Amino acid sequence: MRDLLSYLTQRFFWMLLTLWVVYTFSFILMRSVPGNPFSSERNVPPAIERQLEARYNLDAPPLTQYIDYLVGIVTRFDLGWCIRLEDYSVNQVLAEGLPVSASLAIFAMVFAIILGVSTGVVSAVYRGTYADIGMRTAAVLGIAIPNFVLAGLAILLFVFGIKIFPAGGWGTLRQVALPALCLGAPIAAYIARLTRTGMLEVLTKDHVRTAFAKGLPKRTVIMKHVLPGAMLPVVSYLGPATARVLTGSLVLEQIFALPGLGSHFIHAALQRDYTLATGMVLTYTVILFVMNTLVDISYSIIDPRVKLQ
Amino acid sequence: MSDSILSVDDLRVSFKTDDGIVRAVRGVSFDVRRGETIGLVGESGSGKSVTNLAVMGLIPKPPGTIDGGSAMYDGRDLLSMGDRELQSVRGKKIAMIFQDPMTALNPLMTVEQQMTEVTRMHMGLNKKEARLRAAEMLEMVGISSPAKRLRDYPHQFSGGMRQRVMIAMALSCEPDILIADEPTTALDVTIQAQILDLLADLQKRRGTSIILITHDLGVVAGVCHRVMVMYAGRVVEKSDVHPLFESPQHPYTIGLLESLPRIDQSKGGELQAIPGQPPDLAHIPDGCSFRPRCPFSIDKCVQQDPLLTEVGPDRLAACLVDVETAERKAVEVES
Amino acid sequence: MNTGKDDRDVKLLEQILDESKQVQGVSLWQDAWKRLRRNKAAMASMATLCILGILAFLTPLLPLQSPIDKDLNNRRFLPPSLETVVMGQRDGLKFKDGRLTAQLAKFEDEIGELRTKQRSESDPDKRDAIDEQIENRIEVEHPFNQLWNELDSVSWGLCELRVSIFGDYAIPSIFGTDQLGRDLLARVFWGARVSLIVGIVATLVSLIIGVSYGATAGYFGGIVDTIMMRIVDVLYSIPFFFVVILIMTFLGDDAIKKRMNEIGIDQIMVFYVVIGAIYWLTMSRVVRGQVLSLKEEQFVESARTVGASSSRIIFRHLVPNVLGIVIVYLTLTIPSVMLFEAFLSFLGMGVSPPDVSWGLLLKDGVDALSSVKLFWWVVVFPGAALAATLFALNFLGDGLRDALDPRMKNRD
Repeated sequence: MRDLLSYLTQRFFWMLLTLWVVYTFSFILMRSVPGNPFSSERNVPPAIERQLEARYNLDAPPLTQYIDYLVGIVTRFDLGWCIRLEDYSVNQVLAEGLPVSASLAIFAMVFAIILGVSTGVVSAVYRGTYADIGMRTAAVLGIAIPNFVLAGLAILLFVFGIKIFPAGGWGTLRQVALPALCLGAPIAAYIARLTRTGMLEVLTKDHVRTAFAKGLPKRTVIMKHVLPGAMLPVVSYLGPATARVLTGSLVLEQIFALPGLGSHFIHAALQRDYTLATGMVLTYTVILFVMNTLVDISYSIIDPRVKLQ
Repeated sequence: MSDSILSVDDLRVSFKTDDGIVRAVRGVSFDVRRGETIGLVGESGSGKSVTNLAVMGLIPKPPGTIDGGSAMYDGRDLLSMGDRELQSVRGKKIAMIFQDPMTALNPLMTVEQQMTEVTRMHMGLNKKEARLRAAEMLEMVGISSPAKRLRDYPHQFSGGMRQRVMIAMALSCEPDILIADEPTTALDVTIQAQILDLLADLQKRRGTSIILITHDLGVVAGVCHRVMVMYAGRVVEKSDVHPLFESPQHPYTIGLLESLPRIDQSKGGELQAIPGQPPDLAHIPDGCSFRPRCPFSIDKCVQQDPLLTEVGPDRLAACLVDVETAERKAVEVES
Repeated sequence: MNTGKDDRDVKLLEQILDESKQVQGVSLWQDAWKRLRRNKAAMASMATLCILGILAFLTPLLPLQSPIDKDLNNRRFLPPSLETVVMGQRDGLKFKDGRLTAQLAKFEDEIGELRTKQRSESDPDKRDAIDEQIENRIEVEHPFNQLWNELDSVSWGLCELRVSIFGDYAIPSIFGTDQLGRDLLARVFWGARVSLIVGIVATLVSLIIGVSYGATAGYFGGIVDTIMMRIVDVLYSIPFFFVVILIMTFLGDDAIKKRMNEIGIDQIMVFYVVIGAIYWLTMSRVVRGQVLSLKEEQFVESARTVGASSSRIIFRHLVPNVLGIVIVYLTLTIPSVMLFEAFLSFLGMGVSPPDVSWGLLLKDGVDALSSVKLFWWVVVFPGAALAATLFALNFLGDGLRDALDPRMKNRD
């Protein structure tokens, strides 16, 4: 218990450090663009421009801006105002987009884990059969096809072809399903491969032979003695997988026109809405950090030899 | 023999590899009698482990195949049993412990989980009974405060302790036969002695038959009643333990004994290593497979592959030469 | 004189060391090669990749249609067909006789005339003026510059060779045409060049950073290692794809673009570096782990005792030993970089037209997917090209890993 607490404190410290690095980096990036975010726009009257600058604190010296903004984030979790979306604070955009993206990501992950692990297990247990070869081919295909292509084809097939999913919109399960499947597919493929290799590796271990020698049925041996060990690489992969889901959601939210963080981020980046972009990168960093911490903790739960540090 | 509980006859096992078909076991026959300890001795690769894995149905197929023979236990042939039937024998009637206790236990499960799953399945115990039984077994193999240790994971035990756990687990269903595959090789010398004593003691108390696989003749001398010496997938000599040490009948046995350090040996005396390497089991030469390394070999050995023949009361050896006179045996051995 | 003797000793020992390492190295590689050769999928993948690489390099030589010549009137979204095509046949090009060769000859003649005029001119100012005129005309009017985008000198030469071999012949649009009437087959080939180069160069960048960083950390160990790996840990927790997007849009800013062009940095070059800079993290961890275990081995110790410097030990002794695992990671990094390129191109932040990459083709393809009419070819062919390449790289990577993995060796 104390291990866990000190581990969490440590992780928290590292997260703050990482966030600071990200913040500083994007601040410098933002401010190195010549002029201010409004100068490229159609002629804004000088008075209004000054007002705008004051609102975004752009008239202060850079160091003051850096500190003010940082203080705002730390003390009030205030990420400032969006530069492009009028009268929207970054926090508001996050609050609106996060539930959409989060549910999409969670659906995708759950789907990927269930599909990936089960096909991986079947593939390993029936190694060398047609089922195995078929699944491995499907898995490589899933890794080799960009998910926006997959999404395009899926829309063609399921929305216009056999019409089982609606084309867009948000809210019902049917509307989440298709984007989540497209988002999860490459990850499922990767998990299937990891599971298969992991299973085959553990199957050669001495303790599995012991389990068979104890007279346990094959099913029990696979489920209780092989699978947990084979899951270790999969669990480690869940951290990077989260990153992949977040990245993938950028594209899929665009294709399916979902009002999530991803589409906001792309808009923010393309329109140089630096406060919004910074706020989102910081949010993504937190999500990733939390996920990685969860992964570490679950790893240490599965494998008692691993100590959290 | 009436008191034999396991009788293996003409067992043959091969593996398909990239270098060709490796014939790991080439016609091995033996009996295990009730309450005895039978030693299986040989270099690594001589087929002693494969023999026992085959009996347990643990040969991975593919690449392994059982090409023939039988292993009769309780009136049934283990080699032709279906999965379900085999499962009711494994762990319950015939249990096995392995060479490396570091890897033979599942690192992700507690000792309790690993021990109770056997008794719950084979003896139908419930969770509580199984735990009591596990604690009892741990105590029997000399692990102190067993109830507490049950909750530990294997990595929290030392090597010797883990082997004790393995033994406790293997014996918890009171099997008729315990196959111990080099149970002491990976352990420190002092721990080795403790484990062997433990095995001998348990056997005395319970009357379990033990098949002890080892490459260490010293171990054999200490605990076995009978010995089989294996070479290149064959049994080359089979005998009670004392006669074997007094008058070995096969050149390979002689070699093994000479390579054994002895306390009564003069300080300067060198240990005799057996020259050469065991044959490549994928390409076994004609004639006697030990011939290339054999100091007694004669011309006949090139053409004739010797079979096990009676050389004394309850003694068998597979050699064309009478090692005591270094002359060809009077009895013509069929080829 | 004492030092002379020492030097000789050092040399001798180094030599012995090298020899012994070579002995080990050769057997390791031979062993791996033997294993790899047995793996049919990996060998087929290797062959595929070699052919692909050669074809991509020789693209200008192949009798393909123009990858950039649009025909909005007659050739939009043509399905795959075997109809004969003549280079330069489009009316809008105004090529003489509608043939590339004829136009080429005509253009060469005109330029030749200008050159003779230039030679006969005595006034140096006028001569310079004509020179400039020639250059301008070549840039704008040369048939090659109308049919291809910014050929480098090698490709230019290959194009000339192609015209002399194949004349006006061009492979029919067997992959169909895209929404602007461009030949898809040609675009897939030219796209291969960009995609492969992005994949390879970016991976090489990550290789250089990752290997030197990891090897240094692993070799020095102790506090240096701790600090260096902590930095990697922090970087690992940064959602890099988002940062890359920020960087790419930052670089897309007109003002920044101008400034970069002034110092002669191409956007695509930054692209390589930025992608390379994310993918080095895993590489550095892997290399560090390898080095940590290797440095305990005898030969490093002996190199140190004969006084070899640290950097020498790292780069001459450790890096070659780490090479196996690095090659495996290389084959697995290239596909993810290629996917990332496709991803960025899809978001409009990667390769920008008139350059063409598979990612861009796929974006066009997905954009053209609609329920009204099924233009399947615009997505299927580029998709198949990308998927086949990634397929092959994955299989090869897996095969190499199996072949080089020492654990597998012990299992046999």
